[in-house]
Amino acid sequence: MGFFDDKSEFFNVADARVDGIAKVTGRGKYSAEYDVENLCYGVLVGSTIPAGKIESFQLDLARQVGGVIDIITHLNKPTIPGLADDAKIAESRIGLPVFHTDKIYFKGQPIALVIAETLEDATYAASLLEAEYITESFAVDFEMEQIKFPLSVTGKERGSMDAWSNAPHVVEQEYTIKAEVHNPMEMHATIAQWMAEDQLKLYDKNQGVNSVQRTIGKVYNIPPENIEVISEFIGGGFGSGLRVWPHTLAAIMGAKKVNRPLKVVLTRQQMFSGVGYRPESWQRLKLGADKDGIFLGILHQAKHSTSVYENFGEGITRVTRLIYALANLKTESATVPLNLSTPTWMRGPGDCTGDFAVESAIDELCYQLNMDPVEIRLKNLSLEKSPETGLPWSTNYVNECIEKGAAMIDWKQRKSQPGQSREGDWYTGYGMAVGMWNAGRGNASAAVILQKDGSITVQTAMTDIGTGTGTAVQNIAHEVTGIPKSKIKVELGNSNLPPAPSQGGSNGLSSVGGAVVAAIDALKLQLAGLASKSNTFFKEAKATDVLLSENGISFQSTNNQFVSYSDILSNAELNSMEAEGSSGPGEERKIYSFNSSAAHFCKLRVNSRTGKVKIERMVCVADGGKIVSEKPAANQISGAAVGGIGMTLMEALEVDKNVGGLIADDLAGYHFSVNADVPMIEVAFINKPDPNINPSGSKGLGEVGIIGCAAAIANAIYNATGKRMRDLPITPDKILLAF
Amino acid sequence: MSLNQSFSRRFFLKTTSFTAALAFIPKGVRSIYEEVKRFIVPSKDVIPLMVSINKKEYSIKADTRTTLLDLLREDLQLTGTKKGCDHGQCGACTVHIDGERALSCLTLAAMIPGKEITTIEGLSEGDKLHPMQEAFLECDGFQCGYCTPGQIMSAVSCVKEGHTGSVAEIKEFMSGNLCRCGAYNGIVESIQKVAK
Repeated sequence: MGFFDDKSEFFNVADARVDGIAKVTGRGKYSAEYDVENLCYGVLVGSTIPAGKIESFQLDLARQVGGVIDIITHLNKPTIPGLADDAKIAESRIGLPVFHTDKIYFKGQPIALVIAETLEDATYAASLLEAEYITESFAVDFEMEQIKFPLSVTGKERGSMDAWSNAPHVVEQEYTIKAEVHNPMEMHATIAQWMAEDQLKLYDKNQGVNSVQRTIGKVYNIPPENIEVISEFIGGGFGSGLRVWPHTLAAIMGAKKVNRPLKVVLTRQQMFSGVGYRPESWQRLKLGADKDGIFLGILHQAKHSTSVYENFGEGITRVTRLIYALANLKTESATVPLNLSTPTWMRGPGDCTGDFAVESAIDELCYQLNMDPVEIRLKNLSLEKSPETGLPWSTNYVNECIEKGAAMIDWKQRKSQPGQSREGDWYTGYGMAVGMWNAGRGNASAAVILQKDGSITVQTAMTDIGTGTGTAVQNIAHEVTGIPKSKIKVELGNSNLPPAPSQGGSNGLSSVGGAVVAAIDALKLQLAGLASKSNTFFKEAKATDVLLSENGISFQSTNNQFVSYSDILSNAELNSMEAEGSSGPGEERKIYSFNSSAAHFCKLRVNSRTGKVKIERMVCVADGGKIVSEKPAANQISGAAVGGIGMTLMEALEVDKNVGGLIADDLAGYHFSVNADVPMIEVAFINKPDPNINPSGSKGLGEVGIIGCAAAIANAIYNATGKRMRDLPITPDKILLAF
Repeated sequence: MSLNQSFSRRFFLKTTSFTAALAFIPKGVRSIYEEVKRFIVPSKDVIPLMVSINKKEYSIKADTRTTLLDLLREDLQLTGTKKGCDHGQCGACTVHIDGERALSCLTLAAMIPGKEITTIEGLSEGDKLHPMQEAFLECDGFQCGYCTPGQIMSAVSCVKEGHTGSVAEIKEFMSGNLCRCGAYNGIVESIQKVAK
């Protein structure tokens, strides 16, 4: 470990990320990149049918390839105790019991693992392996299937639907979104190494080392602490790393069977069916308002796809309950099982989908009422309290986000009627939408190790998937201690470090920030205790009495009561000292509701002859409480907007309805935004601390950058052209058909 | 072609179990079987190669199927060059071959003798970062860092090729390097900084 620390060899770029040097020099080790002795390679083979049973395998050819060590199938697998029977499989929550069933649930389902001396040998042998199947009928067509699944009420109904049956203005429309795939640039990978019969080391790509540890410990029936999960550098996640997927289990099983360390790296094609995706969805929305644009009621119905072997619930209607003061509200939902792999959380899960429908419908209402989209939102926001919990918001600055964003994009340039701004084939339009996310916090721990020279190392098991968690930890430690950043090392992403929650749902920094402060408080008390032996001022000092600095501790601001670190440690005959602290949510959650929010504004041009949408400006103003590290935070938001542009204009997991499998499942077929697809994204923050959420006052930013993006773009397309696009992605063909 | 292949594989599989059962088959038949096997399951060819990577000469043996990308990552432990798709669709594996940007996943190791390969590990000189690496740090031109070495190798070439006249031009000539984190703002700013 200690990989975050090699920046000292180079000169220090001010405000650079703590892991920056490792990343720009290529030195950072991602999970597939560790040099492990006696390593062998595993390649997964996927089923070629979407539903049925494996009848037999033809392994002879693959076995004859030089270098092949073993081939694992459900016929010869070493049984995992936690997957020994159907009841245990259900209890394990592992989802797909890889190699523990002959059933086929989707095309591409792993049916065999070929293990060989080299990647080339394993890949070639895998290409020769064949299976024979008994095929069964399958369902992959979401549009056709969803009709069969009835809606049921989700969440508490507010008021009544009758109360607004005579609303003078009503929008009632359907909205659909194709499934999208996370596709982090790093393919998921695992190196599994059994150190002893019940001791395992994993170099694994994930977003929560402790979660992997617990899951694997449970299925193997070994204590979690016997499993070391190392995830120091993670090449993106966006939600795909929040579960333990079949390839990780396959690598662990394979390593045990051949009694060697084994590496399994998914191919880009396998990434489309191996690690989840945002489910395909259908929504119907009915929104009513009075003549002044005050919302009277909403009915939000949503269905989304899941797999046939597992039910994944997305929570599409959650966001509907969050932003606006809706006295009458009803939400209904259903999941639709398909013969595809199980979907999972993807950036802004649920809310991103639901928000597209709600924020589009509000825009539609604006044109009915001839009212400005900014004005109607400001009129209807629930700024004082959460409309769902009834508790006052700790902070809610969504109105400020809207006002600031409108000023930044020069909203008054927008024409109130569509199709009014045209040059040749190009139509120009403006659109906006807002997004919100429940700001959470989990229990997290951190440790601080102090050296005599006043340098510290801050440790937590929390990962940094690119969000800048490590940099934020360094910044918080610097602010609390006054120790210069160059003397603060950060160690993350290892299950041997103090435990932390998974990095998802915008909870990362909110959780770990408090833990860092708690660990530093614990260190202060330890230091004061030792210092009190030579300086009575420090006797029974509280953490708040003790101030840290680069060289030592002082009692409050009394500079003459100063003891250096080196004296304290030397007197105690210590070379270094370590303190650990934990923090988590508490009573404040009973008093307040918490949210992060954002307002998105878009200016774009649409070509009526080609259907091309060119985004000219994208503005996002976010409230994430106090911004702990400015550059990475802005990067998060602009990156989410880039993702949002992809979601809106190009991303679609295409399913071949005849064959029952995916098509275009690579980066040439599945388009997400390249550099030229997006403008320079303009980002601003409200940057006011939330005094109640955690000691650092910061709220998560990971999701709000994308929630609202799609509606802002679709609304701008309408403003430009008068064509309402309710089906994502809005590809040029759909725009041409509308003209 | 693929139909023929699968037909011959099936045929071979069936004859495999058949011939294996008949251990007493004449020598002549067995040698025909070995011939057929060689045709269908080719043995691997490992060839000696002299390659020059980051101004260092390596005398290696490589599988003829090995790509330059896998040679770097799996055999030489130069893991700074990343695999993002293995199909020439993402740019994560970008290196310089004789000073020009190239995709190492679409280059076989056997093709590189006589050429000078530069990877991200060879870009900085000793402890001194390349100006483009410095710019990426200053402009925060990355998040997860996985596409970053490829972006930086491409960015160095983008400047050298003179494609930095405008934001639009930089974006166009950097669109072969995908970034799923969407750190395009910082990537463009880094290139502008170095091009100045």
